[in-house]
Amino acid sequence: MTDAKAPTDAPGDCNARVQELIKYVKLPYDHVELTGEIKVPKIQRDSMIKVHAQQLTSKDTLARLGYPTDGLIPNWKEVFLEKMDEILKKYKSVRLFMDICVRCGACTDKCHYFLGTGDPRNMPVARAELMRKVYRRYFTWPGKLFGSKFVDGWDLSEEVLVLWYTYFYQCSECRRCAVFCPYGIDTAEITMAAREILNSVGLVQKYMHEIIDKAQVLGNNLGMQANAVVNSLEFVRDELQETTEIPEIDVPIDVEGADVLFVTPSADFFASPHIESLYGYAKVFHQAGISWTMSTHASEGGNFGMFVHNYEHMKKINKRIWDAARALKVKRVIGGECGHMWRVLSSFSNTMWGPFDYLDAKYPRPQHICEFTLDMLKRGALKIDKTANAEFTATIHDSCQVARGMEMGGQKYGQFEIPRGVIKGVCEKFVDMPENTIKERTFCCAAGQGLLGDDMMPTRVKGAMPRMQAYSYVKKENGVNFLALICAICKAQFSKMLPTYGFPMEEVGGIHQLVGRAIVLGAKEGI
Amino acid sequence: MGGIQFIINMALGSLIYLGLLIFVVGFVHKLYNVYYKTPQPLKIPQTPQPTTLGGVILRMAGDVLFFRSLSKGTTLLFFSGWIFHVTFFLILQRHLRYVLSPVPACVTFLNQAALFIGFVLLLALIVLLVRRLLDERTKYVTNFSDVFVLLLIIGIVTTGIMMRYEPFRPDVVGVKGFISDLLAPATAVGYMTLHPAHAPASLMFIFHLGLVSILLMYFPFSKLMHSGGYFFSPTRNMINNPRDVRYVNPWDKGSKEEATK
Ligand code: SF4
Ligand code: SF4
Ligand code: SF4
Repeated sequence: MTDAKAPTDAPGDCNARVQELIKYVKLPYDHVELTGEIKVPKIQRDSMIKVHAQQLTSKDTLARLGYPTDGLIPNWKEVFLEKMDEILKKYKSVRLFMDICVRCGACTDKCHYFLGTGDPRNMPVARAELMRKVYRRYFTWPGKLFGSKFVDGWDLSEEVLVLWYTYFYQCSECRRCAVFCPYGIDTAEITMAAREILNSVGLVQKYMHEIIDKAQVLGNNLGMQANAVVNSLEFVRDELQETTEIPEIDVPIDVEGADVLFVTPSADFFASPHIESLYGYAKVFHQAGISWTMSTHASEGGNFGMFVHNYEHMKKINKRIWDAARALKVKRVIGGECGHMWRVLSSFSNTMWGPFDYLDAKYPRPQHICEFTLDMLKRGALKIDKTANAEFTATIHDSCQVARGMEMGGQKYGQFEIPRGVIKGVCEKFVDMPENTIKERTFCCAAGQGLLGDDMMPTRVKGAMPRMQAYSYVKKENGVNFLALICAICKAQFSKMLPTYGFPMEEVGGIHQLVGRAIVLGAKEGI
Repeated sequence: MGGIQFIINMALGSLIYLGLLIFVVGFVHKLYNVYYKTPQPLKIPQTPQPTTLGGVILRMAGDVLFFRSLSKGTTLLFFSGWIFHVTFFLILQRHLRYVLSPVPACVTFLNQAALFIGFVLLLALIVLLVRRLLDERTKYVTNFSDVFVLLLIIGIVTTGIMMRYEPFRPDVVGVKGFISDLLAPATAVGYMTLHPAHAPASLMFIFHLGLVSILLMYFPFSKLMHSGGYFFSPTRNMINNPRDVRYVNPWDKGSKEEATK
C-alpha cells in the first residue's frame, strides 16, 4: 500500500482514478462442485478482487439520501476521518471491536464467502482488518506518534478506498463469524460502519441505496405507487377467491379498525415463490377469523436502512409502520416472512419509536407470523390436512437475521423451534440439514444485506456453496425436496441458486406456502 | 560495584513504577472512558440470547471460564488457548506470595505442581506461536504485534522458570525485601531523591521483571485489552428483551411528541 498523491494537489483526479479501479464489469461465474461436504479451501489471494458492486449515480437519489452527488469528493480524506470518528464515538460495538480482536483466526473459516471463494480478504478478521489498519494509524496513540509502519496500519489512499469498496460489499452482515469469536466480534457492525463512511465520501452502492431511497419516498422497496400496491393485492385476492372458491376470503388494504396490521416484504405481492406465502397468510387470517389489513403507506416490511450505520434512514423507514398502525387504528402489528425485517421490527423498532402500546396495551410488541400461526395451530383454530403436503420432505434454511437476531415467542431458541413447529404442523416429513449449517450456525443465503443485485452474481453463486452442499447432503441422504424459507431475500436468492447448482427451482418456497396448501378452508371451528 | 548496582536499582525500580502506572491508568481509562462511556445505540445480542440478567451472567461466565464461543469453532486453538490462560492465571496468583505476608494457603496450595504448571504454560505458548506461524489462514492475518506479545510472554515465563534452577536461583529473601521495599510509599519518594530500593543481584530476576514492566506498559495499547474489553461486548452482554423492555438509544432518546408528529 503506498500513499497516493495528496488529492488536494490534483482535484478531480482522485475520483477518476478510483472510478477506474472500481468500475463494474460483468464477470463470468461458475458454481462449486457439489459433494455434500463443506471443505475449507486453500487461500487464493485476490481471487475476488475484481468483483465490484455497481455504484449509484443518479444525482437526485444521492441528494435525497444526503450523500455527495459527483463521486469521490476532492477532500475525501478529511471527510472520511471525520465520519469514522463520529461512528467510533456513536457505536460502542465498532469502537470496541476495533480494539479487542486478537487475530486468533477462529473466525477465518466461518464466512460463506471465504469458504466459497478462498479469497483471504473474505475471512472475517481480514475484512475487519481493512478498517483496523486505518483505525490504528489515525485513532490510536502509537499510530499518531509513530506512523503507519509502526502499528501495521495504512495511510489513507485511493487503494485503501478501493479495497474497502470491494470487500465491504462482499459481506452480507450475516453475523456467523461472531458466533465463534471468543469476544463476539460482529463483523456485520464493522461492515455497516465502513459502508456509511464510504457513502460520506461519495462511493455509494447502487442496489441497496436505491431501495433505501424508494422505501422512504414511496414506502416500499420496489418503488410501487399506492395504486400499484392496491392493484397487485386485488389481483392476489381475486386469485385466492378463484382457487379456493370462497368468495369471502380477502386481502384487505387500508381497512380502518382491523385487528391486525400486517407488514411483509413487497416482493410477496407478486414475485414467485413469495406470493405463495401471501396466499398462506391470507388463509391463516381468514380461517382464524381475525380481521387484518395491509397498508399502502407501510407497504414494505423490509428495512434496508439496517444495512448501513445510518440510523436516520432506518428510523425513517421504520416510522411508516408506526404511523400506519396508528392511522388504521389496529390493535397489533404482525410481520411476514423476512429476515432482516424481523430484526428491525423486533429488536430495533421499540428503541427507535417506542412500543406499540398506543394501540392495545395487550399487544405492545410486534409479532412474527410464525408465532401467530403456531399459536393458532396449537389452539386448534386451523384445520390442517397434512396429506396436501405428502409429496414433500421439507428442510428449513434458518435465515441468519432471524437465527442470530431475536428470539421468538419469548423463549430462548424460539426462533428455531417455532418455524420448525409450524412446518411440522403442516407437513409430515421434516429433516434438518447437518448441525453445523443450521440454527445459530446457519449459513447465509449469500445475497443478504444489500448483495442481491445482479452485479453480485459471482459472490452470490460462490457464497451459496455451503448451503447448497448441506442441501445436497440431505437430498441424497433423506430425499429432501423442499427448502422452506422465512425470508424474501433468501427466496429470491435460492430460486436462482438452485437451478444454478442443478436442482429444480420449484423446491424453494416459504413456510406459509406449505401452510397455505394444508389448511382446510371452510367450516369454522373457531378459537 | 556500587555504581552499577545503583544504576540497576534506579532503572529497575523506575521501570516497574512506570509500568504499573501506565498499566493502571491506561487500563482504567480505556475501560471506563472508552468501552463503558461509548454509547451503544441498539440492542444487538447474539444467539444464544438469554432473556434475563441471570442468563447473561451465565453466558458470559461460560465464555470467560470455559471459552464457550471459541470451543464451537476450533479445537487446537481452544485447547491451547484455554490451557494458556488457566495456567497463566495459576502462576500469576502464585506470585502473590511475594507481596502478601503472611502468605495465605490459597496461594501456596500448588507448591509441588507449580513448576510443572510453568512448563505446561510454556508449552501452550509455543503451540500458540507455532500454530500462528504454520496455520495458513492465521498466518495471513498475523501482525508483527501478535508475534511480539507472544515472544514477550515466552520470555517472561522462561526467565521465571530458569530462576527455579541453579545457578539462576535468586536469593528469595532479597527478592521479598526488594518487593516489599517497592511497595512501601517511602520508597517511591526515595526514588526521587535517588535512594532506590535494593534489587537482588540476579541477572535473571532483573530480566524477568524488566520484561514484565514492558508488558505492563504495552498492555493498554494492545489487543491485550480483550481481557477487560470482553465484558463490554454488546453481542455478549446485552439482555435479549428489546420487545418487552424499551432499550433507549443514548444519543437518540426519542419522545412521544416526535413519534406522533
Ligand atoms: S475470532 Fe474474533 S478475535 Fe479471533 S480473529 Fe476472529 S474476530 Fe478476531
Ligand atoms: S458477517 Fe457474515 S458475511 Fe460478513 S464476514 Fe461475518 S460471516 Fe462473512
Ligand atoms: S437474505 Fe436471508 S439468509 Fe440471506 S442475509 Fe437475509 S436473512 Fe440472512
